[in-house]
Amino acid sequence: MSEIETTGESRLEAISMDDDVVDAVKKKLGVGFWIAVGWLGLLVATVVLAPLLPFDDPDKLASGPARTGPSMDNWFGTDALGRDVFARTVYGARVSLVVGFIAIAFGMVVGGSLGMIAGYFRGRVDQVISFLFFTLLSFPGLILALLITSTFDRTLRTVSLTLGVLAVAPVGRLARAATLVFAEREFVQAARVIGAKHFRILTRELLPVVLIPMAALALLGMGVAIVAEGGLAFLQLSVEDISWGVIINDGRGIRDLQENPHVALMPIGVMFLTILALNFAGDRVREYFDVRETAF
Amino acid sequence: MKQFILRRVAQLVLVVFSVTFLTFASLNLVGDPLFNIVGVLSGIPDEQCEAVARGEIEDTQSSGLNVGDCALIAQAKEQNNLDKNVAERYGIWLSDMASGDFGTSFVNGDEISDIVKERLPVTIRLIVLAQIVALGIAIPWGVASAYRANRGFDKASTVGSFGLLSIPNFALGVILLYFFTLRWQIFPSRYENAGWWSELKALTLPAFTLGLGLAATYQRLLRTDLITTLQDDFIHMARAKGMSDRHIMYRHALRPSMFSVITVFGVNTGALIGGALVVEQIFSIPGVGTELVEAVLRNDPPVVISLISVVAIGFVLINFFVDLMYGYLDPRVRTS
Amino acid sequence: MAEASAANTQLLVRDLTVRFPTTRGTVQAVNGVTFDLARGASLGIVGESGSGKSVTAKTLMNLLPRTAEVAGDVIFEGEDVRRLASEGREHFWGVKMTMVFQDPMTSLNPVKKCGEQIAETLRYHLKRDRKTALAEAEDLLAQVGIPEPGKRVDQYPHELSGGLRQRVVIAMALACEPSLLIADEPTTAVDVTVQKHLLDLLDKLREDRGMSMILITHDLGVARGRCDEIAVMYAGRLVERSAPETLFSDSRHPYTDALLRSIPRIDQPSHTRLEPIPGRPPELINPPEQCAYAPRCRFARSDCLESIPDISGVAGMHEFACFHPANTDRGREALAANLAQGCTVAGLEISGAGASS
Ligand SMILES: Nc1ncnc2c1ncn2[C@@H]1O[C@H](COP(=O)(O)OP(=O)(O)OP(=O)(O)O)[C@@H](O)[C@H]1O
Ligand SMILES: [Mg+2]
Repeated sequence: MSEIETTGESRLEAISMDDDVVDAVKKKLGVGFWIAVGWLGLLVATVVLAPLLPFDDPDKLASGPARTGPSMDNWFGTDALGRDVFARTVYGARVSLVVGFIAIAFGMVVGGSLGMIAGYFRGRVDQVISFLFFTLLSFPGLILALLITSTFDRTLRTVSLTLGVLAVAPVGRLARAATLVFAEREFVQAARVIGAKHFRILTRELLPVVLIPMAALALLGMGVAIVAEGGLAFLQLSVEDISWGVIINDGRGIRDLQENPHVALMPIGVMFLTILALNFAGDRVREYFDVRETAF
Repeated sequence: MKQFILRRVAQLVLVVFSVTFLTFASLNLVGDPLFNIVGVLSGIPDEQCEAVARGEIEDTQSSGLNVGDCALIAQAKEQNNLDKNVAERYGIWLSDMASGDFGTSFVNGDEISDIVKERLPVTIRLIVLAQIVALGIAIPWGVASAYRANRGFDKASTVGSFGLLSIPNFALGVILLYFFTLRWQIFPSRYENAGWWSELKALTLPAFTLGLGLAATYQRLLRTDLITTLQDDFIHMARAKGMSDRHIMYRHALRPSMFSVITVFGVNTGALIGGALVVEQIFSIPGVGTELVEAVLRNDPPVVISLISVVAIGFVLINFFVDLMYGYLDPRVRTS
Repeated sequence: MAEASAANTQLLVRDLTVRFPTTRGTVQAVNGVTFDLARGASLGIVGESGSGKSVTAKTLMNLLPRTAEVAGDVIFEGEDVRRLASEGREHFWGVKMTMVFQDPMTSLNPVKKCGEQIAETLRYHLKRDRKTALAEAEDLLAQVGIPEPGKRVDQYPHELSGGLRQRVVIAMALACEPSLLIADEPTTAVDVTVQKHLLDLLDKLREDRGMSMILITHDLGVARGRCDEIAVMYAGRLVERSAPETLFSDSRHPYTDALLRSIPRIDQPSHTRLEPIPGRPPELINPPEQCAYAPRCRFARSDCLESIPDISGVAGMHEFACFHPANTDRGREALAANLAQGCTVAGLEISGAGASS
């Protein structure tokens, strides 16, 4: 009776099918998730094995005739200097993925710890940390990145850490919010009662549960960092190496776009698929765990 | 409400200080600002000039100096308050800035306030246009999706918006540039401002580049909120009053469903500002972004500091006003 | 008391059936409901939660979700309402026929001023300009007994009390002078003290305007003094229909009987024990082919479990759907037999207490 009750009464026609959808979602990651993970896996494998695979040197000039479209020899064609765009895309992936990974890892470690400390201890500590997050968020993201890379250098490390700084506040806020909630739960209260040390409660009791919502954010955040790196590349402020951003930026001149658009469009395609995969996987993970959340 | 505004104002002031200080300090502590003004001359050790000042040595070739080098350095230091510490310099800079004096470029001596006056309006127009594009697309799109939630159109929209959200804006910019400017030649390839029409044409593609992804974000949020609102009794009441579905969607359901959109509106303006930097590069638009990048590349800290501060303060202000917007959207907030 | 003579009939509902397909099965929300309503008359629909009262009302108002499967006829002033709905007729609902909902807290748009919400109807249907519409809105607020109407038009719903809000809702519904008002539990959500005022107001407005009304309520007592006729619903069916006097003095359907026992009566000493109805409300998905009330019925015999009783009797006078009606010999026999057994055929344990009939 109560079951029917929830679907009935006062709803506009527009939503009368919602319960069907709820049923359809269930607690499954779905095929899409595994396709996304598959793509990311393939990408990582290619990047790692790139030196062993028979790809051209991404910097080798005249690896084929300049400005030719995709062919058997040059899958993604060649650029104005005759460099192989496929090889460049593969090597570009290395930088982009590393940047994305380090950035989000930094954000998780720094933002996550700060957020958990703020959410756990509250009071003054929370006020200070929250204000720090607020200030960081008061910079438009790319502006902050530009500020940091322009004061320091443009090595892979600096760029990655810069983007990591960008991730600190969003990750931190999530960690703080989650900690605030979980710190009230019985299992944490119980640990407190038996006199566990703060550090122990934070790492043993809270960290595992706070990590769950953060996992989804990590996937989404990695996408954001990869895109941000591309943005920096367009401002000529990213790494002095090849990344996707750098390649696309190289190929976006009017003449290049007119005569050999594949130089920009091919890496754009690969990048799009990668971001799509990260977003999709992140979204699925979030939905998946939101369902579990209620079971705590 | 009053207290709420007061608290927000206090927060606002605090944030403006920390943001500008961070900007100022990072560009002043790292590297040698003197170098940026006088070039290699900055390498002359202070003691040497002090000795010259005391008359112990002469600033001639023999001491490895040129005539007037020390005077030049002294002048540069004096003009830019380089002999004071960072905090003091920040104070001076801030009060100058507050009175509208942004200082001059180290590199070409241009008045920074002139640069801001010339560049900022272009960027603002671009961002406003992008928001208009985003909302103009997202509102009817979100309404159509929510109206028949989980039907064909809505499902296709979910896929579509997911795709749009996964295209980096620079990639979208390149794609739009390629098709609309180079292939089909619908839009001009360079920025022109001979009257509002030519500027509008020049800003259309950039605005879409920035606005499409944002439209997808707004659409998702609006759809969810609308679906919730549509279950409210007052929607039934409006239907019982015999209003058409269209009237109900736009006149009754829309406004109470805009909260999430408004909430992210401010945050997204930040993303837009960042995006504008990049998009201005792609479409060669003479806005703050291009100037900022040029200033960074030519190593011109005063310009960089001023522009970043202006942009960041603008961003903080926008978010402040967004908070106040809640009051307009929901009268219940106004009185509580 | 208004007799339903054909010429005077305003609303005619025949065999109305509403089903909702859901993932768990088809909800049989309304099953073959038939009734008439004379011009200017008032009908009370009474029944417990989930009995299909609101769904019936929403069908008349064309407010059902698109997934709902509707069958049967609804004729209002000679027009086929269901056809109007499929044709997308405008200026019908809200003008000729309107509805007031249960909860005044949520049936007003929180972001619009009260005056505007009333004026909106006038502007939308009657094409009044803004100023006239607002003036009329103020007038309407005065008519529904809101003090300081001039001030109220500029207030938001959240600034008013529940009682006042419901008055605003009523004013809104009455703006276009409808000839039929459906009030779906209009007083359930407000204070007891306010309830009577609101019901009196509705009565007065109805009389002043010669409007007919369908008053939906849980509470037989509410319907008693105010309706010309009362229809009792159970599990999506009309189980009994008659004038209030008859119903109260000489009810037939055991469900009505039980309902009457569960409300305090003025003509009984105040210490009379109220009997709750035993058992649970019926399942509306895949209901068995039997009288839906049988599992809870003190009168149930084996025939009750074999088929569904049709509603019958003197049309317009007293109709009911029961094989062993209360207050009749058949009913008394059935009850006596069940009492002797200690339980009914459906396994409901009963005892002699309260079996005063
Ligand atoms: N859109 C719908 N989808 C599925 N079932 C519905 C829908 N609307 C109503 N129902 C079901 O139809 C039945 C009748 O509901 P209805 O709202 O008419 O009851 P009611 O008599 O008005 O009860 P209450 O006194 O609680 O208002 C209920 O079981 C309800 O769950
Ligand atoms: Mg109801």
